[in-house]
Amino acid sequence: MSDDPRLDAVLLAWRERGELLIQHCANCGATAYYPRPRCPACASADVALIAASGLGEVVGLSRVHRGLDPALAAEAPVLLAEIRLDEGATLIARVVAERDEPVGPGMRVATLPKDRAADFPLPSFAPA
Amino acid sequence: MDDAVGIIGYGRSQYERKPGQGELDYVADAVSAALQSAGLQARDIDGLAISSTTLGGDNAVTAAERLGIALRWARGSVAGGAGALVMARDAHDAIAAGRASHILCVGSGRQDGASFRDRVSRFNRAVGDYLAPHGCGGMNGLFALIQAKHMARYGTTRAQLGRIAVGQRASAMRNPAALLRDAMTLDDYLAAPPIAEPLHLFDCVMPCSGAEAVLLGPRDRAGGRGIAIRATGERYNHRPAEVVPLEGGWAAFRDDLYDAAGWGPDAVDCVQVYDDYPIMAAIQLEDLGFCAKGEVGPFLAGHELSFAGSFPLNTGGGQLSVGQAGGAGGMLGLVEAVQQLRGEAGERQVANARRALVSGYGMVAYGHGLAASALLLETA
Repeated sequence: MSDDPRLDAVLLAWRERGELLIQHCANCGATAYYPRPRCPACASADVALIAASGLGEVVGLSRVHRGLDPALAAEAPVLLAEIRLDEGATLIARVVAERDEPVGPGMRVATLPKDRAADFPLPSFAPA
Repeated sequence: MDDAVGIIGYGRSQYERKPGQGELDYVADAVSAALQSAGLQARDIDGLAISSTTLGGDNAVTAAERLGIALRWARGSVAGGAGALVMARDAHDAIAAGRASHILCVGSGRQDGASFRDRVSRFNRAVGDYLAPHGCGGMNGLFALIQAKHMARYGTTRAQLGRIAVGQRASAMRNPAALLRDAMTLDDYLAAPPIAEPLHLFDCVMPCSGAEAVLLGPRDRAGGRGIAIRATGERYNHRPAEVVPLEGGWAAFRDDLYDAAGWGPDAVDCVQVYDDYPIMAAIQLEDLGFCAKGEVGPFLAGHELSFAGSFPLNTGGGQLSVGQAGGAGGMLGLVEAVQQLRGEAGERQVANARRALVSGYGMVAYGHGLAASALLLETA
């Protein structure tokens, strides 16, 4: 448990259910990742966590070779991507792909299946 | 702005890859150099501001005790790499308002590679909670995504952005303070090992330790060498919640900045932007009006960027060649600009430098930097 119930909810939903939680604003309709005390678009307090579809599109991608956590070093390069969710919010997350699998802008991605979620500290994706 | 008050001294500590002393010792060294350049004594100082993110519980007030200075005015920064320029503006205004007579503004940092990695993983709650746990190597991945997007949208190339690193290195070879002074060609830049593609080794700053300082006071005390601050701008959380933006907030105040100075980008003789990565330096050139958005690639290709070139950029080598000493990085460009405008830059002097632009950038949170600043300087 952290001192932030929203963070705890995001982490629990991912770890236990493989769900990606995002914030939805009832006032302006904006979605956001990560969740905050107020809507980042309109400052409304009328915000709530919703389960996203987990589907989105790669906007841009980096192959990260150096500076990885030691536990990831053997997997280098690791793919870090800007992903636009179908709900509208944009986030930065890992894309887990086979070594020779082409991944690039415009590619459809989905959150990893539930049985793999707990292996990743934050919501992570794979080619859809 | 009241140009009776200006920048009347500047100085820097030595830079070190592995810190050989405490951060307040680097501060003391930069302060001594600034006092010497102004011909003043510590007892003349009654204001101190420090921009640092590595001082722990220390700040301008505890530094005053270490430095043996009693203060009427003390401040810190909330804007990371954008904060040093804002501090200088606030110091100017405090003196103009009679709240202090001479103020030292210092940027400092004490770190090496390992402590830097630890620090950036806990930069702020958003980064610590939602980015760092991915384990993808600090800030490089984020700025790689910004560069990748700029390249995809506008056709910007590594060879164009590399001209920033190469031009700055040519200047750094004539800056004894710079830690990285080996000659670098564009081929060297392009062939460097990948870190987080499209970023390669020479796109990434080297963490180090050091301090930079400017001294503000009455310009008539400076014997004609006082530098006037013509205009400043600052902007925070520009475009809320944007992730991986291709702008940083400078464009939001750019017109006001140049209007206040009475001159524009065409009149600037040397440009000092915040170069945590070449792509961010390039985005500042766009946002601050040196070229249109998306056209920085051809702009860079059309210029030689060393101190002696057609577009003198980060003429001491910038953070890419001097090193990234935490809060000193936000002050580096201001000190270099003052040195250039005083005609005291020695072997890397920009010919006839009278006007300079300095910009800052910082507080990287989830997917974007939250703080942008800029400042225009002119000789009397």
